[in-house]
Amino acid sequence: MKAPRFAYARPASIAEALALLQKHGDDARVLAGGQSLVPMMNFRVAAPKVLVDINRIGSLTGIKVTKSFVRIGALVRHVELERSADVAKHLPLVAAAMPHVAHPAIRNRGTFGGSCALGDPAAELPACTLALGATFVVAGKKGERRIAAQDFFKGLYATALKPGELLVAAEFPLPKPGYASAFGELARRHGDYAMVGVAAHGLRKVGKFSDMRVAFFGVGDRPQRASGFERALEGQPAVDGALAKLDADLEPRADLHASAAMKLHLAKVLADRVLGGLAA
Amino acid sequence: MTKRFDVIGKPRRRVDGRAKVTGLTRFADDVVLPRMLHCKLLRSPHPHATIESIDVSRAQARPGVHLVLTGKDFPVTFGILPVTQDEYPLAPERVRYVGDPVAAVVARDEQTAFEALGFIEVEYRPLKTISDPEEALATPEPRIHSYGEQGNIHRLQAFEFGDVNEALAKADHVFEDVFFYQGNTHLPIEQHASVAAVDGEGKLTLWSSTQVPHYIHRALANALQIPPAHVRVIACPNGGGFGGKCDLHNHEIVVSKAAILLGRPVKICLTREEVFYMHRGRHPVLMKMRTGVTKDGKITGMHTQTLLDGGAYGGYGAASTFYTGVLQTVAYHIPRYKFDACRIFTNKPPCGPKRGHGTPQPRFGQEVQLDKIAEKLEIDPAELRLSIVAKPDSLTANWLKIGTIGLAECIRKVVASSDWKNRFRKLPEGRGVGLACGAYLCGAGLPIYWNKMPQSGVQLLIDRSGQVTVFCGATEIGQGSDDVLAAIVAEVLGVDPYDVRCVTGDTGLTPVDLGSYSSRVTVMMGNAAIQAAELLRDLIARAAAEHMETVPENVGFALGRVFRADDPGKLMSFREAIVLAEEKFGTLGSVGSYSPPRSPGRYKGAGVGPSPAYSYTACVVEAEVDRKTGWITVPKVWIAHDIGRAVNPVSARGQVEGSVYMGLGEALMEEQVFRRLPPKLSNALVHKIPSLLEYKSLTSLDMPEVFTELVEDPDPNCPFGAKEVGQGPLLPVMPAVANAVYDAIGVRIDELPITPDKVLAALEKKAKGETPRVGPESFPDVPYPEPMLVPPPWEGGDGNSVNTPRRRPLKKEALA
Ligand SMILES: Cc1cc2nc3c(=O)[nH]c(=O)nc-3n(C[C@H](O)[C@H](O)[C@H](O)COP(=O)(O)OP(=O)(O)OC[C@H]3O[C@@H](n4cnc5c(N)ncnc54)[C@H](O)[C@@H]3O)c2cc1C
Repeated sequence: MKAPRFAYARPASIAEALALLQKHGDDARVLAGGQSLVPMMNFRVAAPKVLVDINRIGSLTGIKVTKSFVRIGALVRHVELERSADVAKHLPLVAAAMPHVAHPAIRNRGTFGGSCALGDPAAELPACTLALGATFVVAGKKGERRIAAQDFFKGLYATALKPGELLVAAEFPLPKPGYASAFGELARRHGDYAMVGVAAHGLRKVGKFSDMRVAFFGVGDRPQRASGFERALEGQPAVDGALAKLDADLEPRADLHASAAMKLHLAKVLADRVLGGLAA
Repeated sequence: MTKRFDVIGKPRRRVDGRAKVTGLTRFADDVVLPRMLHCKLLRSPHPHATIESIDVSRAQARPGVHLVLTGKDFPVTFGILPVTQDEYPLAPERVRYVGDPVAAVVARDEQTAFEALGFIEVEYRPLKTISDPEEALATPEPRIHSYGEQGNIHRLQAFEFGDVNEALAKADHVFEDVFFYQGNTHLPIEQHASVAAVDGEGKLTLWSSTQVPHYIHRALANALQIPPAHVRVIACPNGGGFGGKCDLHNHEIVVSKAAILLGRPVKICLTREEVFYMHRGRHPVLMKMRTGVTKDGKITGMHTQTLLDGGAYGGYGAASTFYTGVLQTVAYHIPRYKFDACRIFTNKPPCGPKRGHGTPQPRFGQEVQLDKIAEKLEIDPAELRLSIVAKPDSLTANWLKIGTIGLAECIRKVVASSDWKNRFRKLPEGRGVGLACGAYLCGAGLPIYWNKMPQSGVQLLIDRSGQVTVFCGATEIGQGSDDVLAAIVAEVLGVDPYDVRCVTGDTGLTPVDLGSYSSRVTVMMGNAAIQAAELLRDLIARAAAEHMETVPENVGFALGRVFRADDPGKLMSFREAIVLAEEKFGTLGSVGSYSPPRSPGRYKGAGVGPSPAYSYTACVVEAEVDRKTGWITVPKVWIAHDIGRAVNPVSARGQVEGSVYMGLGEALMEEQVFRRLPPKLSNALVHKIPSLLEYKSLTSLDMPEVFTELVEDPDPNCPFGAKEVGQGPLLPVMPAVANAVYDAIGVRIDELPITPDKVLAALEKKAKGETPRVGPESFPDVPYPEPMLVPPPWEGGDGNSVNTPRRRPLKKEALA
């Protein structure tokens, strides 16, 4: 089966896009890379009446490095992130995550903004925005607003985006000296969404962890930082002592492929390995 | 056959390769006809219910809707085996699984048909749902079908070849194990599609993704109660079949009926979700194996018991049930053998044949058990197997005739290539190697309906243009049957295989071939093709001999030339030779046919298992197991297959690699599993993962390095000695994975798939000092009947049974 019938519009600017979204309200859906939305339509899980294709809006594209942050436009394709020298240099966590996002064909079309706006709990990029303390830039009819990654992901496929709003970009603060990051995930097959994943960023000085931000994905209804675990790591030379904190931090949900207990177990194993890698 | 070959055995591009990779192959979904309408089926949301009423009036009134059909339009039951006519094209009164079709809409386009389904009102009265064999054994009522053995038992079979209890009593050790093999699905890339049309005379043509056009032809004519002479079934090339396109399917009957009623072509394409629900895939099988061995590892006797979860209908299930027992004996010498099998009806999508049909499950059990036996006896598992390999030109305890057997050579090859001796039990903790073997049919000895006619027919047409057209009912399902056909004809006539035109799988044009199942095509079609081609070659040789002033026996054919064998300088082109033959004999054509040799077994039930030849495979898998996550990765697989002779080594290797791919999926992740919806949502048993996003099977990126070797020991029953390669190489892969996991971390996972959670559970047991094993704990009490007693050949038997078990005798229908 293919998608139900829909109308299609291709605005040339953010303003035009916002006007269309406002006009059609709940009937409209933004189309970015279409790698999630189109399958959902084919499965008839989604049936928007109007698709607002943002692929021609130039101001949503591009990776820019300023003095204090790296700005990633919503329309930046996964493949651009994967290959960008700026990303490799300033956001090695994102660079490390990209090969885990789907398959090359999907990475050629899928966008950074699409991944974040979709809010799949097992997606890599949302977890990276949490670990790196990024800020989302959102356009709405009343102008732009900024939302910290921490406040952006609200639940299963739910974000802080309001109806009629467009995700424009995210700004990642440039990492401070001495900070390092590490990434890891477990999936049954290449290219699958993670069964459990960890994105971590923080300071390693004189062999001790400090100011760690550890985001898990694939374990709850959204990507989440493990705050108890992060606190327990502070000043510690090794990971083991802190792992027990994950029992309280994480509330894994069973899914088709793993029980809650299995997920918690895997989260601990992975946290140990990923942060252990950072310590090495 | 001392002649060197020009085509056979040469690695070549397949004759259908170019069309496949350039997108020119016309699959069933590509068939588009003028005035064509589209059909969708309404399927039951309940696993078990009676239909109280159906109101189609609102759907019928939708704009663009041409026809709505329901159960009352189809009074006749059908089923692929003559013994199990238990299905309705659309359920009239009773639905038996989620997905059972109840109504059909035919409309101007697919979208309209789909939307109209929502306007059909069906009132159901749910019945108790039976979800698995143990529940079914404990719940004889309500009966899912009113036929069968008793309660919800569909089939019971029991055979004993020599006194097995005595054999076990005399053994030095008796091993008893219970294994479980989860069901899984075929996963062809092409979802089923069919187009039906009637011609001006009202005769029906059905284009379909089917592996068995001849069986569909018969069954469809019967289901529609029209003369078979007015039905033509065209099997389009299949985008993969693997057994999933072997039944007559509801949708094929429905679109045929609709085309007849409307006088317009009607098409249906199933969604992937529908394919998951229609299923007919691998049976979940629980099995118990008791094997007696001497202290040096010789088997004294074996008793296999199987319990199959059949799902909601019979389908090929009666045959599947036999196959969980009959081929256990063709790999190793088993002097006494007993098997009891039982198939159960449950309210789930029906199971049926999938690659290896019924044999991968017991093969898994047998090969894992042999690994345990070898360990206990402190014999290398490869040596153990080598010492018990069945003998060539021998009979098995259950009266199967083994011809050539290259199993020992296969074992030696993988032992050498994998460096087995330096790896087995010697790799570091977490890495291991496992070995297993398999054996398979090269064509089922008997057709699914009783008859004495040929099982494959080939017709050849040649004319003055030099063209060679070969007609055969065999079906190209991606396995390369057209290539085998062209190669064999080309070899005999000495022409280029790319100059041979294949017309296949069309019951209106091609001689009957029973279809692409049971790995029968190369052997049966191939033998028929040789016969037809040799007849024509003889005619041409006679005409050419006259011209070249020699005798026909002295005429050679090669590379598009016809020449004097004793003086190859005297030659003419193939085309010139045909002109001579056409002048001398008139219009040129020939036919060939093939029927397998009669099997020595004469007891009732001996019809399942015989084959003109058996293929053999050995496989070593290397596994790496992450002890903390339970993740298993397979970096390398070494596999050797006894193919007799490879017609086209490229395509043969492709089949072996494809088998490894499928086998690893079955071993590690694939499962066709169901869950109950909450009671307020009908309590239905729904498929857990009816989509390719979540039903996990390997991707190309997950494939290990595969080292394939072909063992070529030509079999005299086979065309140019060529055996099968489509199914056999799958069989050893799953047990080899399980054995490799054991070698890596010392835990036994006696059930498939071997998932990370099972690995962790077993490791936890090991850490606690418990038996480090995960698998079924017990085997239920199944009311197997008194066995039919058939003495094995070496105990003075004549192939007949010596008792008449007190139960309904098995019907004479042959099962394949
Ligand atoms: C087989 C497969 C495997 C995959 N595996 C992974 C994986 O491992 N990890 C992973 O992270 N992803 C995976 N994906 C998803 C892929 O990364 C998608 O590209 C991504 O999730 C969505 O990006 P998109 O640009 O395609 O968005 P679309 O599909 O176009 O849109 C997704 C949603 O976001 C909304 N949206 C898009 N852009 C904006 C915007 N600028 N403002 C507001 N709303 C917007 C859309 O309206 C829609 O609701 C997989 C997809 C497939 C098909």
